[in-house]
Amino acid sequence: MGNVRNRRRKTEKKQPPLLDPATPLTIITPSDDAELDFLKKRSLLSSAVIITFFALLVARLWYLQIQEGETYISLADNNRVRYVEVAPPRGNVYDREGREIVTNRPSFNVVLSREDNRLDDELVKKIAGILDVEVTVILDRIRKMVGTPGHFPIRLAEDIDWEKVAVIENNNLDLPGIRIEVVPLRVYHYGNYASHLIGYLGEINAAELEAGDPKVYKQGDQIGKMGLEKLYEDDLRGEKGREYMEVNALGFEQKALKGVEPLSGSDLQLTINMELQRAAEELMEQENKAGAVVAVEVNSGRVLTAASSPQLKLDEFIGGISSKAWQAMLDDPRHPLINKVVQGQYPPASTYKIVTALAGLGEGIITPDTTIFCPGHFQFGNRTFRCWKKGGHGSVSLLRALSESCDVYFYTVGQKLGVDRLASYAQRLGLGRKTGVDMEHEKSGVVPTSDWKKRKYNTKWYEGETISIAIGQGYDLATPIQICMMTAVLANGGTLYRPSLIESVRDPDGRVLKTFAPEVQERFIGQGQNMKLVREGLVEAVNGQRGTGKSARLPNITVAGKTGTGQVVRLKQYEHLEEEEIPYKYRDHAWFTCFAPAENPEIAVTVLVEHGLHGGSAAAPIARAVLEAYFKDRLAKGQDVAYVLVPTDDDAEGVN
Amino acid sequence: MERTQNTQRRWQMLRFDRRLVHYFDWVMLLLLILVSAMALANLFSSTWSGGPHASLFFYKQLYILLFGIALILLLVSFDYKELETLGFIFYGLVLLLLIYAGFFVESIAGTQRWIDLGFFRLQPSEPAKLVLVIVLASYFSRREIGKGFGILELIKPAILTLAPFVLIMIQPDLGTAMMLAILFCSMILFVKLRWSTIAILGTLGISTVVFFWKFLLKDYQRNRIETFLNPEGDPMNQGYQIMQSKIAVGSGQAFGKGFMEGTQGHLHFLPERHTDFAFSVWGEEWGFAGSVFFLGCYFFMLLWGINIALSARDKFGVLLAFGLVMLIFWQAVINLLMIMGLLPVVGIPLPLFSYGGSSLLTTLISIGLLMNIRMRRFPLKG
Repeated sequence: MGNVRNRRRKTEKKQPPLLDPATPLTIITPSDDAELDFLKKRSLLSSAVIITFFALLVARLWYLQIQEGETYISLADNNRVRYVEVAPPRGNVYDREGREIVTNRPSFNVVLSREDNRLDDELVKKIAGILDVEVTVILDRIRKMVGTPGHFPIRLAEDIDWEKVAVIENNNLDLPGIRIEVVPLRVYHYGNYASHLIGYLGEINAAELEAGDPKVYKQGDQIGKMGLEKLYEDDLRGEKGREYMEVNALGFEQKALKGVEPLSGSDLQLTINMELQRAAEELMEQENKAGAVVAVEVNSGRVLTAASSPQLKLDEFIGGISSKAWQAMLDDPRHPLINKVVQGQYPPASTYKIVTALAGLGEGIITPDTTIFCPGHFQFGNRTFRCWKKGGHGSVSLLRALSESCDVYFYTVGQKLGVDRLASYAQRLGLGRKTGVDMEHEKSGVVPTSDWKKRKYNTKWYEGETISIAIGQGYDLATPIQICMMTAVLANGGTLYRPSLIESVRDPDGRVLKTFAPEVQERFIGQGQNMKLVREGLVEAVNGQRGTGKSARLPNITVAGKTGTGQVVRLKQYEHLEEEEIPYKYRDHAWFTCFAPAENPEIAVTVLVEHGLHGGSAAAPIARAVLEAYFKDRLAKGQDVAYVLVPTDDDAEGVN
Repeated sequence: MERTQNTQRRWQMLRFDRRLVHYFDWVMLLLLILVSAMALANLFSSTWSGGPHASLFFYKQLYILLFGIALILLLVSFDYKELETLGFIFYGLVLLLLIYAGFFVESIAGTQRWIDLGFFRLQPSEPAKLVLVIVLASYFSRREIGKGFGILELIKPAILTLAPFVLIMIQPDLGTAMMLAILFCSMILFVKLRWSTIAILGTLGISTVVFFWKFLLKDYQRNRIETFLNPEGDPMNQGYQIMQSKIAVGSGQAFGKGFMEGTQGHLHFLPERHTDFAFSVWGEEWGFAGSVFFLGCYFFMLLWGINIALSARDKFGVLLAFGLVMLIFWQAVINLLMIMGLLPVVGIPLPLFSYGGSSLLTTLISIGLLMNIRMRRFPLKG
C-alpha cells in the first residue's frame, strides 16, 4: 500500500525539477532519468545474481548436511572421541592343588606427554636424575618417537621401583607432562620351574599380527610365545579395556568419558602338581643334567609333572630376549630351548622290553615259565649280539629277564615275533604317534615296521634288525611322554589316555569354562594277565636282589620300574674308554620308567637323562624323588627310613 | 547559490523529523537486529569456555553492535548526498591510516594490521572497502554513461582502487586486497563499459592473474620451507581447516546438534571458530533448517538493499546502494563458499556474523547508509 503511494508520489514529484529550468544548476549529479533507469535495470539484474548465489549455497548446504550428513557425523565423532587401550590382566595359572604358578603384578612405567612440542631440557635432566639414568638414554627414547602424532605418549622407563614412583608423584607439579602408567606384568612364583610348560610372553611380531584378529591385537601387544601361554592365549588373554576421552584438535585430552573396564583373562588350573615338578627339576638342575621328567596319573591321564632340563630362564624373556642370550641357548649342548618331554626323541632302550615281553606273551611265544639260556651273547647268522652282562645270565625266565634286563632273552623273543608283530604291540601302547598333549612341536617317535622301512629307505627289512628293535635300539625312537604313557597303560591294565595338562579353565567370575575329563585313546583288551606278569617283573627290577632299578625303591610303597640305557653311537674308538672319558655328546642316554604303588598303581613316572650313562644310577633317583613327593603323606606315616643308595649293577646293553 | 542550497537543506532537516518516522527503514532495521541476534547467539556459543559468564568476545561485540546501531541513527539524520564530496575526505583519511598501519605498526597476526586506539583496535583495511565504494559511486555518478565508459575514463577509478589496494597488499592482507579488486570490478561492470574496454580489461585481468599466480607460488614455497623446518608446528594447514569446517557443517544434519551442543567448535577442531569460521558453528548447532533460515534472512537483507537501490532518487544513490550491497554480498559469498569447502581459505569474514569490531562497524555504517538512501527516496522538494 505504502509502496504504491510512494511510487506514485515519486513519479509525480520527479517531473517538476526537470521542467523547472532553474533547478538543474543546483544539483551536482546530472539528473538523467534514462541513466537512472538504466542503473536500476542493472540493479534488478544484480538481484538475480544474489538469488543465484543464495540457491547455490542452499544446495551446497543440502549436500553437506542432508545428503552427506551421516558421513560427517561419524567423522565428527571420530574427531572428538579417542581411546587408549588398557591392557587386561592375563589369567592366572594355578597348579592342581591351587598353588599360584603365574600371576600378575602392577608395574609402573614413566611416560611423557608432548603437550606442546617443545622439549624442556630442565625436565629431561630432572627426570633422568630421578630415574638414575643418563640424559642421553631419555633423549634417545624421545628421538625414537619423533614423527609419531603428538598425543602419543613417550615411554621413558619401564617397571620402575616404588621409591621412584613416589618421588615422581610427589614432584608432580615440577614435572609437567610426566605421568605414571600402570601395566600388569607376569610374576612367576616358581621361578623357572615348569618354564617349558608355561612358556613366556613377548611383543607381538608381524606374522602374529597378520594371523591374529585385528580387532584384538595391536602393535606392541604382549602375546603368548610358547607353552601354555601360547596354546591357551585365547583363554588367558582377557579383553582389553578402553579409556575413552574427548580430545581437542591437537589430540590432547579434554575430559574423560565413560570407558570400558578391561576384562581379566580366564584362569588355568593345571593338572601339574608343582611340588612334584619342583622335586623333579631340583635334582636335575642340581646335578646339571639335561633331560625330561614326566609323571602322570595312570587312571586318568592327568600329567602331574612335565619337566625339561635345563630350565628356560624366563626373566631373560621379559621385554624381549637379547640375541646374545638367544645364541647362547642355541649353542648350549644341553639344548635348553628344546622341550625334551615331547620334542626329545631317544632310543627307548630297555624300557622297550616291556613291549617285547607283552608281545611275546600275547602272541604265545613265551609263557611265564619259558626259560631261555643266556650265555652272554646271541648269534644270528654271522653276527653276534651281546648281552650287557658279559658272563651271561644263565637260564632266565620272564621275571628275571625283566628284573635283570637280560638282553639275550629279548633278542630271542624278538626274533621269533618279527618286527611287524612287535610294532603292532608298540603302537597299541601309544608309541610311534603323538600323544596329543598340550605342548608344541610334539614328535611322534618311530616304531619301525617293514612297510615303514620300505617307505622310508626303499629297502626290505632284514631279520637281524628286529633283534636290535626288540631291546629298543636301532630305528626305535620314543619321547619321554610316550614312554610314560606306555608305563601308565601297563599300570592300569590296558587303557591309553591322552595326557592332559588342564584341570579347569575358569573365567574371572569363577564360572568353569572347561574342565578335565579323561580321554581314552586306546583300550588294549585281553592283556590283563600278561600285563600283570610284566608288572611283576618290574616290581622285581626295583625290589629284587639283583634288580636294575634298586635306587628307586621306597620304604612303604612298592615301586615297579624299568631301567634303560640308550646308545647314542656305536664308535669303536670309544669302546675301551672309561665312561667319564667319553665326550658328553656321545655318552649313552639314561632311562627310568616306573609306577607305584605296584598293587594298585596311581602314578607313573618316566625320567630321561641325556647322556646320563646308566638308567639305574642317573635316572632312577630322580624318579624316586618325584615318587617321594607324591607319596609324602603316606611315607611319613611309615617309619623314617634312612635312605642308602644301593650300588647297582649297570645294565649297559651291548649290540655289536 | 551555495548558501540557498544550504539553507534549503537545513530547512529540510528541520522538517525531516516528521518524515523520519514515516520513511524510516524499519524493514532493514528489523533484518539487521534479527541477523545480529543470531550472530551474537552464535558468538556466545563459539567462545563460551565454561562458567556462568559469556566470554569477553561476546561483550565486546555486543557493545560495538549497540554503539553501531546508535551510530546508524546518527547517520540517517544527514543526507547521504553529502558523501559525494565528503567521501573523498574520508578516503584520504583512510589512506593515511593505511600508510600509518603499513609502515609504522608491526604486523600482529601475520597478515592484518591494527592501529591500537586504546579502547579499540582499528583495522584500517575494513573502512578502506567502504570508502572505496563511496568514492567510486561518487565518481561514476558524476559521469555520463552514454554508450559506456572508455578505458581512459577508468584510469581515475582504477587509481582510486589501486592506492588502498597496494597499501593493503603490503600488509600483506591478500583477502581484503582481493575484495577491493572485486568491488572495483563489480562497480565498473554495473555501470556500462564499452566493448573495447571490456577487451582491454580482459587482457589486463589475465595478466594480473598470471602475476598473482606467481606471487602465490612464492608464498607457497615460503610456507613449504617453514613446514619443513617445523613439521609439528603447524598442523592447522588449509586442507585441515576446510575439512574440519565441512565436518562441522555436515554433522549438523537437518536440525543441528542444538545450541551450545556443537563439538567441532567447542573442542577447538575448528580454527578461527568465532571469526572467519563462525558460520561453521552455526551450521553444526542449528543444522540445515537453521542455516537456511539464517541465509534467508541474510539474503533477504541483501535483496532489500537492492530494493533500496531501485528506489533511490538519483544515480549516486543507486550506485552507492549497489556498491554497499556488493560490499556485504561478496564478503558473505566468499566466506560461505570457503566454509562449505568450495573455495580455498582466504581471510574474509562473514559481515555482521564474524567476530571483529572493525568489520562489524564498517558493515553497520554500510547498512546505516543504505537506510539513509532508503529514507531519502522521495525527491528533495515537497
